[in-house]
Amino acid sequence: MGTAVLHTEKLCKTFSNGGFQQHVIKNLDIEIREKDFTVIMGASGSGKSTLLYALSGMDKPTLGKVFFGKEDISDYSNDRLAIFRRKNCGFVFQSIYLLENMNVFDNVMTGALVAQKNSPELIKKAEDLLIKVGINKETWKKYPNQLSGGECQRVGIVRAVINEPAILFADEPTGSLNSASSRDVLDIFTELHSKGQSIVMVTHDIRTALRGNRVIFLSDGSVVGEHEMPPYGTDDLKKRRDGLQDFLDRMGW
Amino acid sequence: MTAMEKILRLSWANIRKHKLETAALVVLVTLCMLLMGSALEGIKGAKSIFPHLMEHTCRYENHIFIPDEYYKEAFADILASDERVSDAAHAEVIYSMSTDYLDDEGKEQALTMCFSTGYSHEILELSEIETTLSDEEIAALEHPIYMPYAARDSMGYKVGDDFDMIFGTRRFSFVIAGFYDAILFDTPGVGLKMIVSDQDYHLLEAIIDKYTVLAYNDGQGKGGDKLLEETLREFDEYSNSNVSDNVMSALYKDLKEGITYDTDVLLKILVGMAVLIIIAVAIMIRFRIAGDIKDQIVNIGVLEAMGYTSKNITLSYVLEYLLITVAGIIIGTAGCFLVSPAFFRTGEIMSGHLSDSRITAKPLIVTAVIIIAFVTVISFLRARAVRKFPPVQAFRKGQGDHRFGREHFPLRKTKSSVHLRLAMKGFVQNFKQNLGLTVCITAASAAIVFCFIIFTFFSGGMSAISKSSGIELSDMKITLINPTDTKWLAEELETLPEVRKATPTSGESIMINMPEKKQVLLPTAFTSFDVTENIFTSEGRYPQHDNEIMLTNMLGKLDGFSTGDSVTLEYNGVKRQYIITGFVTSLTNGGINLYITEDGMKRLIPTYAPDTIELYLKDGVDADEFKYTLTDRYGRSIADAGNAADGEGSYEDRIRAEAEKQIAEIIANQGGNHVEYAIQSGDTVIKGSSSGFIIDSVINLSGVIKTQLAGMAKAISALTTVLMLLSALVVMIILFILMESSIRRQRKEFGVMKSMGYTSRELMLQLAFRIMPAAVISVAVGTAFSVIAVKLFASFIGVIETNMAAVFFMDAVLLLFCFLCAYAGARKIKKISVYELMTE
Repeated sequence: MGTAVLHTEKLCKTFSNGGFQQHVIKNLDIEIREKDFTVIMGASGSGKSTLLYALSGMDKPTLGKVFFGKEDISDYSNDRLAIFRRKNCGFVFQSIYLLENMNVFDNVMTGALVAQKNSPELIKKAEDLLIKVGINKETWKKYPNQLSGGECQRVGIVRAVINEPAILFADEPTGSLNSASSRDVLDIFTELHSKGQSIVMVTHDIRTALRGNRVIFLSDGSVVGEHEMPPYGTDDLKKRRDGLQDFLDRMGW
Repeated sequence: MTAMEKILRLSWANIRKHKLETAALVVLVTLCMLLMGSALEGIKGAKSIFPHLMEHTCRYENHIFIPDEYYKEAFADILASDERVSDAAHAEVIYSMSTDYLDDEGKEQALTMCFSTGYSHEILELSEIETTLSDEEIAALEHPIYMPYAARDSMGYKVGDDFDMIFGTRRFSFVIAGFYDAILFDTPGVGLKMIVSDQDYHLLEAIIDKYTVLAYNDGQGKGGDKLLEETLREFDEYSNSNVSDNVMSALYKDLKEGITYDTDVLLKILVGMAVLIIIAVAIMIRFRIAGDIKDQIVNIGVLEAMGYTSKNITLSYVLEYLLITVAGIIIGTAGCFLVSPAFFRTGEIMSGHLSDSRITAKPLIVTAVIIIAFVTVISFLRARAVRKFPPVQAFRKGQGDHRFGREHFPLRKTKSSVHLRLAMKGFVQNFKQNLGLTVCITAASAAIVFCFIIFTFFSGGMSAISKSSGIELSDMKITLINPTDTKWLAEELETLPEVRKATPTSGESIMINMPEKKQVLLPTAFTSFDVTENIFTSEGRYPQHDNEIMLTNMLGKLDGFSTGDSVTLEYNGVKRQYIITGFVTSLTNGGINLYITEDGMKRLIPTYAPDTIELYLKDGVDADEFKYTLTDRYGRSIADAGNAADGEGSYEDRIRAEAEKQIAEIIANQGGNHVEYAIQSGDTVIKGSSSGFIIDSVINLSGVIKTQLAGMAKAISALTTVLMLLSALVVMIILFILMESSIRRQRKEFGVMKSMGYTSRELMLQLAFRIMPAAVISVAVGTAFSVIAVKLFASFIGVIETNMAAVFFMDAVLLLFCFLCAYAGARKIKKISVYELMTE
C-alpha cells in the first residue's frame, strides 16, 4: 500500500442558492495513496465531482482541510492554487475542453509551457507522448473540431500528463465517447497507472471503474464504502467484475 | 407572441446579460450626443452673435479709420455722396497700438487702446452702458471710464475697479463706471475701445494719435472691398496724398467672419471629437455583435429551431443597440441643456459680444438622428451575419469558426515567455477585431498627440509663441522723431551696460501695396535679417539683396506664391519687381507682414530711413525701469512731454515746460520733426528747440503680443487638455468593452487554462499584451498623423516646434495607459471559476 499523497480532514462543501444551502460534502476524511488508481463512484448528486475538484485544488472547501503531502492547500489563494495545480496536477475532463483555437500540438504545449521552459527535450516528449497515444504527426496541426472525440480525449490526456503530475485527475473521461474510443482511452489510463502514475477518476461506469485498483463509493456527501482490487490486468477479469458488482450492489448502486 | 414582442424580449435579455458593456456603450453615446449636440448648439449660438450685434449695437456696418494728418472734412461728403452708401457719419477717436496698463498684480502690460468721448460713441454705436452705479455715483467719479464687455468677461474687471494706464513715466488712473458692447476693439486680442470723459479725452489726445472714423452702411456689405477701394482712391485724389496706404478699415464681411471665428474653430473641433467617438461606438458595436454571435451561436440555433427567424434575431440586435443609443441620447440631451449655456457664454466671452443664444430643438434632433441612423446601419449590417447560421449549422457552432490557414506563433518555437507568445497568438487570431481597435486607438492617439504638441507649445510661454509671431519681439521698440537719429542712437544704446543689442528697423507708418493681389503689406525692414531673433523662415532663406523679399506662410498659401516667384510692389505710384526668397511663419498682423532689406526699401522708397530701434536688454534688466534711464539720457519722449504736469518749478521752468508741451503737440499732431521757440519775458529770452526730443515713443511690443496671445494660449491649452482627457476616456471605454467581450467569448478557454495552472494574473497579462501590437501600431501611426497635422497647422499659423523627445515620452505614456486599461479591463478573468465552468 502506497503512502498518502493527498488527504482530507473533515472536508465540507456547501453550496448556497437563493438562501437554500446544499451540503454536498459532509465532514469527509479521505486518503489518496501514491501510485493508486482511485475510482470515485456514487449516484448522481452524491458529490463525486465536487470531491474531485476539492481534492485537486480546482475549488476551495467550505470547511475542513485538504493536504497535499503535509502541505495544507485549503487556504491557498486562487493564484497559489493555480501554481499548485500546474506543478502537481493533471486533468482530463468529460467534455475534453481542448482549446478550440489551437491545433493539437499547441494544445499540448499550452499545458507544458505553463510549468516548464521550452526545450528540444520538451518538444520531443510531447511528440513521443502524442505518438504513444496514437495521434500521428499528420494530426498535430489539426484543430479540435477536425478530430474525433476519442482523438480529442487522447490529446487531452497527453496535455494532462506532459508535466508528469503527481496526481492525474479524471472526471468521467469516457463519458462523451463511444465504446471503441472509451476502450482506447482507458487503455492509456491503465498503462499510465502501470508505470506508477497516481490517478483519481470519477465515473459511474462499471467498465471504467474496473481499471482502478481502489473504488470509493460516495453517498450523500460521505464515503460509505471502499473496495480494493489488484492492478488491472493482473487478475481474472470476470472475478474482478463480479467482485466490484457485488460491492456496488451492497452500496445500493 | 408577436414578432415585435419576440424581438424586444431577445434584445432586453441581451442588455440584461451584459450590463457593464451596455453601460460603457451608453457612456460613449452620451459623450457623443453631449459633444456634438452642445457644439452644434454652440455653433448656432455663435451665429446668433452677429445678428444680435447688428440689431442692438451696430449703427454702421463699415468703418474706416483715417489718421488725423490725412483726414479732410470733405471725405465724409465724398463717402456719403456715393449711391451705394445708405447712411454715413464721422466721429473722432484716439488710437494707440500699444499702451501700458497695470494688471491686477500691479504689473505693466500692454494693450492696443482706442478712446472716444460719449458724444463720438453715440454717433458710432447703439449699445448702451451697463452699470451698477447710480447717476450720482457716476457724476462723483473724477475719471470715469467705460470699457467693452471683454474687459469684464476676459480680464475680470468690475464696475468700481481702478484702471491705470501708463504713458511714458506718467500714470493715468480711471475708475470703471460701466461696460458696453463694443463693435470694434472689442477683445484684448485686437484691443479695447474705451469711453472717457471729454476732459480726459482732451488730455489723452495730446499724446495719442487722433483718427477720424468714417462709418457707413452699404446694404450689408454689398459695396464691399470695391466701394472701399474706390472711395480711398477718391480720398487720395482729393487730398493729393497717400491716404489709402495709411488707413485702417473694418468692413461688414470682416466683422461677420471675424467675430466668432475662434469660437467656430473651437466648436468644430468638438464636433470632430464627437465624430471620433461615434466611429469608436460603431467599431465597439461590431465587436460586440460579432462576439455575441460567436458566444451565443448554439442559443441562436435553438431560437431558430423554436421558430424565431434570422430576421427576428438580427432585428433584436439592432433593437438592443437602438435602446442603448436612445438611453445615451436621452442622458446626452440632458447634458446638453447643462453644457450648452456654458458654450454660449464661451462664445460671448471669446467674441466679446452678447448673443440671443438659447437652446433649440433642431441641433439636438439633428445630432440624435445622425447617431441613431449610424448605429442602426452599423448594427444591422453586422447582425445580418446571423443569416449564415441555420439551426443545424448553429448547433455545430458554425462552420468556418476557426481558421485553418497558416499557424501563427506556434508554441513549439516559444523562446521566452509562453504568456507573451499566447498573447501574440491571440492578437493574430482576433485580427479583424484588432483592426477595428487599431482604427479607434489611431484616431484617439492622433488626437492626443496632436493636442499634446499644441499644449506643450502653447504652455511653453513667450519663447515658444514668439517663434510664431513673425515679428521681432524685442524688449522695447523705440520710435524716433527724426529718422536721421536712428543709426547713431542705436550705436550709442549698444554701449549702455543694460543693452544687449539695438537694431534699426522700419516703423509702422508705411504700408506697401501688392497691386496684382490687391493686398496691403506691412514692411519689416532690417539691414540684414541675420540680426533678427524672432523671424524664422519655414521655407527658403532671408532676403539679402535689394530685389528680394519674404512673405508670410499664410499669404503665400492664400495667394499661391512659391519661393522664386516675382511680385510687384507699389508705393506712391512707384512700382518695383521683387523675388520671393522664402516664407515666414506669422501669427500676427493677419499675415500681411512683408520682410525686406533696408536697401530693398530704398529701391521702392528712395527717401526711406529706419525710424525705429529694436532694443534688446540683457538678462535681468527690467524694461520698465530702463525707460527711466532712456528719459535721463535722451530727454522725455513726446508722449511724456505732452503730459507734463502744469505749475511745477520756477517761472522759467514752467515756461520751458509749456513750450515743450506745445512742441510735443506740434510734432505728435502735425508730423514735424524740428521745432524751435524763443520767448521774451522782460529782459530775458527763453530759447529752445525740439532737439531735446529724440524719442517719439517707446512701445513694449512683446507686452502687446503677450496680451494678444496669452488669452489664445490659455484657451488652446484648456481645449487641448479637455480633448486629451476625452480621447483618453474614449480609449479607456473601448478597451474596457473589448476586454469584457473577449472574456465573455473566451470564458471557457480561460477556464480551461486556469485548470491547467495559469493564474488569473498571467491570463490578464496575456489579454493585455494581446492588444499591444495594435496599440503600438496605432500610437506610431497616430503620432505620424499628428506630426503631419501639426506641420500643416503650423504652415498657416507659425512654427510649432515639435519636441520629439516629449512626443516619444507621450507615446510611451499612451502605450502604458492602453496596457493598464486593458489589464484592468481584464480583471473579470478573476471571476471565472474553473469549477463552475467544468460543472456547467
